[in-house]
Amino acid sequence: MLSGCAIISRDTTRTEGYNRFAIRAAQAQLWNEAVFRWKQVISIDPEDSKAHNNLGVAYEALGDMEEAIASYQRAAELEPNNKYYRLNYRRCRIHLRRSGGDAEDAPQLEEPPSTE
Amino acid sequence: MQIAKKIGILLGVLTFCGCSSAVTRVSIPVKVQSEIDITRYSNFAVLPFVSEKQIERNEKLPPEVGGEIASILRRGLARQKHFEVVNTQETSRLLTGETVEEDWLSDMKHLSQLGEYFEVKAVIIGSFRFYSDSRPRRYYGERYSVQRQRYVLDYQDYMQKTYLLSLRVMIIDVETEQVVWDESYRRSTAEAHTIGSFIFSQVGPQANTIRELGRRAVSEFTRQISPHYESEDRYLVN
Repeated sequence: MLSGCAIISRDTTRTEGYNRFAIRAAQAQLWNEAVFRWKQVISIDPEDSKAHNNLGVAYEALGDMEEAIASYQRAAELEPNNKYYRLNYRRCRIHLRRSGGDAEDAPQLEEPPSTE
Repeated sequence: MQIAKKIGILLGVLTFCGCSSAVTRVSIPVKVQSEIDITRYSNFAVLPFVSEKQIERNEKLPPEVGGEIASILRRGLARQKHFEVVNTQETSRLLTGETVEEDWLSDMKHLSQLGEYFEVKAVIIGSFRFYSDSRPRRYYGERYSVQRQRYVLDYQDYMQKTYLLSLRVMIIDVETEQVVWDESYRRSTAEAHTIGSFIFSQVGPQANTIRELGRRAVSEFTRQISPHYESEDRYLVN
């Protein structure tokens, strides 16, 4: 059990390291490098909502709107109450609609249940 | 007991830090499409802009200003890869003997015929108003008073002269004789004058001011009708 915990902890450290590196790459507008790193994070932990959201941002920056929408959706599915995922997704859809894309086809996110 | 309490607080802080997720805001380039159908309107003839005569406040300007605004617009459009524009020399040659008048703005049939003559899909024409508005202003500041040995409130009167340019730009479809674009762009700039420099500014040339304001108005129009990139914020979660 202890070794299992150690493996999980090592993976988390690795994914966090990749995420930090990818964010620095994104800040330097090196979007392809950032995509590569976030894909690595997802290959280690497919349920990492942060990586899916960040990958969505990177795909959007690269103009791959279909992949961006899919990534934002996945992030929002994994963590429906995260306001940043929803904000990114909403903005992406608005942009897609403005640019004549088929944002109407993209499903609307349901409002998260109120925590108050 | 004390040590246990400290460890508890430390664990609480560590848990809180671990659970909270920091956010990094990044700017991404997003493509903004043209507001007109660029597959249809790919080549234009830009006619000289006309000064709106009924406006009494219009400043006295040299007659070539309308032509200069049109030239600025031609240059702006020619830089876009999606558009072809009839150049200034060719436009002047084809318009020899004609004077663009204010009533042309409502004569779509005539503009459409001109467009056919120029062999373009759309004609760009427009008008402008250029006027100035002067108001006395008071600037409050502080000055050091030697008598009182401290800073005291002080003011200075000056004249603020504001130049305003209102540029109307129209795009006329040559085939259907329809107006596909009709927008006005207002640009202004202000100058501060003392009494002496104000009198000089009233008689001095204003062509440079209108050129500059025209350039700014035209660049907004060009931006609206050309596909371009804008930056938007997105959130990366750490």
